Amino acid sequence: MSTAALTAVTARRAPAIALDRVARTYPGGVRALDEVSLTVEHGTFLAVMGPSGSGKSTLMHCAAGLDSPTSGSVRIDGQEISGLNETRRTELRRERVGFVFQAYNLIPSLSVEDNVTLPLRLAGRRPDRDWLRTLTERVGLADRLSHRPAELSGGQQQRAAVVRALAAKPAVVFADEPTGALDLRSAHQVLDLLRALVDDLGQTVVMVTHDPAAAARAHRALVMADGRVVEALERPTAPQLAQRLVALGER
Amino acid sequence: MLHLALRMAAHRITALLAVACAVLGGAALITTTGVLAESGLRSQLPPGRLAGADVVVAAEQEFHPSGDLPIALPERATVPARLVDRLAALPGVTAAVGDIGFPAALLDGHGRPVPVAQDPATAGHGWSSTRLLSGARVEGRAPSGAKTVAVDAAAADAAGLAVGDRVRVVADGRPAAAYRVSALVDAPGADGGVWFADGTAAALAGRSTGGEGPRAGTVDLVGLRAADGAGERVADAVRAEVAGTGLRVTTGADRGEAVAPGVGSARSLLILLAGSLGGIVLLITGFVVAGALGVTIAGQRRDLALMRAVGATPRQIRRLAAAQSTVVAALALVPGVAVGYLLAGRFRELLADRDVLPSELPLTVGPLPALATLLLVAAAVQLSARCAAWRTSRMPATEAVAESRSEPRTPSRARTTAGLLLILGACALSVVPLLSRTVLGASVTSVAGIVAAIGLAMSGPALVRSAGEAVVRRLRPGAAAPTWLALSNVRAYALRLSGVVSPLAMGVVFVLTYTLTQTTVLAATSDDTRTGTLAQYELTAPALGGLPDGTLSAVRDVPGVRAAAPAGTTTVVWEYDELGEPAAESASAMILAPDARGVVDLGVTDGGLDRLTGATVAVSAEAARTRDAGLGKRVRLVLGDGARVDARVVAVYDRGLGFGPVVLSRELAAGHTTTGLDQRALVRTDGTREAGRALAALAADRPGLAVASTAQDATGADAPPEVWVNLAVVVVLLGYLLLSIANKLVAATAQRRAEIAALRLVGTTPRQVRAMMRREAAVIAAAALVSGLLLSAVPLALLGQGFLGHPWPAGPSWLLPAVAATVALTSYLTIELPTRHALRTPPADALRTG
Repeated sequence: MSTAALTAVTARRAPAIALDRVARTYPGGVRALDEVSLTVEHGTFLAVMGPSGSGKSTLMHCAAGLDSPTSGSVRIDGQEISGLNETRRTELRRERVGFVFQAYNLIPSLSVEDNVTLPLRLAGRRPDRDWLRTLTERVGLADRLSHRPAELSGGQQQRAAVVRALAAKPAVVFADEPTGALDLRSAHQVLDLLRALVDDLGQTVVMVTHDPAAAARAHRALVMADGRVVEALERPTAPQLAQRLVALGER
Repeated sequence: MLHLALRMAAHRITALLAVACAVLGGAALITTTGVLAESGLRSQLPPGRLAGADVVVAAEQEFHPSGDLPIALPERATVPARLVDRLAALPGVTAAVGDIGFPAALLDGHGRPVPVAQDPATAGHGWSSTRLLSGARVEGRAPSGAKTVAVDAAAADAAGLAVGDRVRVVADGRPAAAYRVSALVDAPGADGGVWFADGTAAALAGRSTGGEGPRAGTVDLVGLRAADGAGERVADAVRAEVAGTGLRVTTGADRGEAVAPGVGSARSLLILLAGSLGGIVLLITGFVVAGALGVTIAGQRRDLALMRAVGATPRQIRRLAAAQSTVVAALALVPGVAVGYLLAGRFRELLADRDVLPSELPLTVGPLPALATLLLVAAAVQLSARCAAWRTSRMPATEAVAESRSEPRTPSRARTTAGLLLILGACALSVVPLLSRTVLGASVTSVAGIVAAIGLAMSGPALVRSAGEAVVRRLRPGAAAPTWLALSNVRAYALRLSGVVSPLAMGVVFVLTYTLTQTTVLAATSDDTRTGTLAQYELTAPALGGLPDGTLSAVRDVPGVRAAAPAGTTTVVWEYDELGEPAAESASAMILAPDARGVVDLGVTDGGLDRLTGATVAVSAEAARTRDAGLGKRVRLVLGDGARVDARVVAVYDRGLGFGPVVLSRELAAGHTTTGLDQRALVRTDGTREAGRALAALAADRPGLAVASTAQDATGADAPPEVWVNLAVVVVLLGYLLLSIANKLVAATAQRRAEIAALRLVGTTPRQVRAMMRREAAVIAAAALVSGLLLSAVPLALLGQGFLGHPWPAGPSWLLPAVAATVALTSYLTIELPTRHALRTPPADALRTG
């Protein structure tokens, strides 16, 4: 597919994520997000960085429909989600959004296969067997499907979580510190996997991290501080990001 | 969803065991209650001595209050004797027998009565009644004339009688007379008896047509034999014939109803029992099941929260929790129901052994109780599972993940408020015994206690947390690490802790209120009876079916006897207006004559017992006040045989608890009791030993008389059977509660493996962990005892005030220490054992799998 054709396709589709002046104030008056606007196009890999308390997790929660913003508009794949109730938001989320958490968040009592198909089952949808086989082979878990999460290594668990996030063919995958609990080698594997999903399969990934090396694997990186986006870098490099973060820390 | 539910359930066997036990026990208890209730409504007595009759016509032995269950009338209501000939004339009828039963007993050679039938009060019959027997073998010839009888073969065996022998018979209270035995009757399945020639029987019983006496010209029932295959046709014809008279025509299995009216009242007792059990059983079962589910679902908070994060809607979470619990409940339900049927059988045996139920009354074993149990338990499980999962399901998904590792931050306000309101409501309820000094009023006490305990369960988390905070704040900085840890846990895991404290407290409240209510009412009742009974002796003739004529005058002639008066007990239904609505209450009523003043002191405040002549009654102050029945008022009563009477109140007395709400004049009750004989005589002597000996000599001299002291046995052996029934109920329910509490504690402790492992990783020694857990156990036991005592204190104080006049209840002194020991032991064992188990796993492993 030529670049022109790809652009033509994406132009017709609404952006994967569109935030318009989104604010989130927690009870007690803490303003975690201060009128953030942001667009994530399909087929891109975005990293969100920032020191602890900068609002990056809140940004992700709001963008993913896990949390409701206090004001502003959030669109996922063109669909407005602010103002929906908890149930409707959950339903929309499991249609359009996939999650990868730092703590894997696999359910210990279910096998890997059950965990992977859980969101589909909850949505009452039949899993696409071919797609799942492609994914599990790709992440190297095809022979581990009947194991329980506790029987896998951390890297394997996180890869299983990636498969779970992709099982429903979502419009966007959110990854919250996906490498935070992993050793260097496993972290590399997971990041390679995320990048490959974007480059080869045209997925959209939004990753929250405070590891500059991880963020450097993204197409674009946002740096946040005090609930605002203070900088957006195209094709970032790890030293560049590290320097920005250190600068923020010294402010 | 079911698949997921099963998978997740399989992973939590220990926790779900608590649910299974709760459901199993609950199902058993509900089924038992259901079987008792169904038996009370539908149990069919064997037709016994009417087995050979195809159609039986008898009077209605039930009173039907509007909009309530029928009340059984225990005294035989009669049928006009002339009906026998009319029914005999119907086509298809091969025989019509007017059956009568009257007191009769055989005397052996030493003048001692030989029992011939279970109830000597209706052992005598006319010979024609033998035609209603089924499969009877008769040896000899029918009795004829005034001096021959036929005798039950088994009784004859016991007395060594054969056809042609002479035997002395006491019939309907007449002096013993000699009869010749003309036949022996062996009727399997029928209660035995003594059969006289028809005319003699009617004359002895005072039932002859044209005779004198209130029951002349009547029979107890009419039994018909029909030509082969004509049974239904005859029954229809009989129904048409007696239409409008209020008589009941029964066939088949229903004939058992007519055999003895008293048995019907035993059935009402079953309904009553089931009714009073039902409320408490449902409350406790619901509480236990909800509690067990609460612990199980709390243990799955993290799983459920994770599911929220990956896209489960709140509804799905609740459905999952409900589905999972339902699967476990369904597994436990089947054995539970089976145990319930067995338990009902055992319970019937207990009641029959204590003579609360006639042993011939069978239980009805049908599918209805099982069905009702199924519905009730399923509803309870679904509801409590959904409630338990409510909070987790409603949390925003982000918080769900974050919060699932610890407790919800604050106990729900609505829950706390509702709990406090329940406790307040329970306090309000417990005022009832002050207002109504009746057994019914007293029973509110235990209900109030249990409602308060449920209130505690709901408001518990908030209370525990504030108590824990208060203690931690005051704790000296130098306190031992385990103490500090234990108290911090108490404060931080208020919900979990109150989850185990409240069922223990519930157990304490339940045992204290239920038992002490029984003993307090018993104490108050026996106090009433003791102070109210002036007579030192009571004379009865149980084997004769009633006191023989002339006994009283003979007693009065005994030197040293100051007064002797007849007394009896029957049942009346009192119809009155309650808040403008018609109400009917059935009560046991004493029958007294005007001379009763010399032997009982009812604490008459208005009028006098000496005016108990004609259609008059005395009523308790309680009844007079609540039913507008003061002195001189007229009350509408339905007597034990269903006769409606209008009686004037001639006395109002205080000791209603010991002597019942109403006392009938002997003249009013005459002709409305099954036997017509006095049941007992109360005798007051000058108190000397000579008088007692003279009385004993008199009793020994006359056949069948028994003399007993009216002083109560201190051992409680003469406590009414209801007390034993209630105590049995306490034991069974307590066992169920303790089992569920133990389960819950074990499950709760087992769920803390990760916490214990984390403590060990940071350097807590196993000894310190055990010390911490032991201190928590101590806190739990102490909290349960204190809150249980506090919650029972108000209802029991009010009960004591109302019934005994001092603000504490009466009861055995060992009760409280026993309860305390049980609570302490339960919490210690159920925490210590799983803790030891958890400590055996290496901490790193526990963290990884926990």
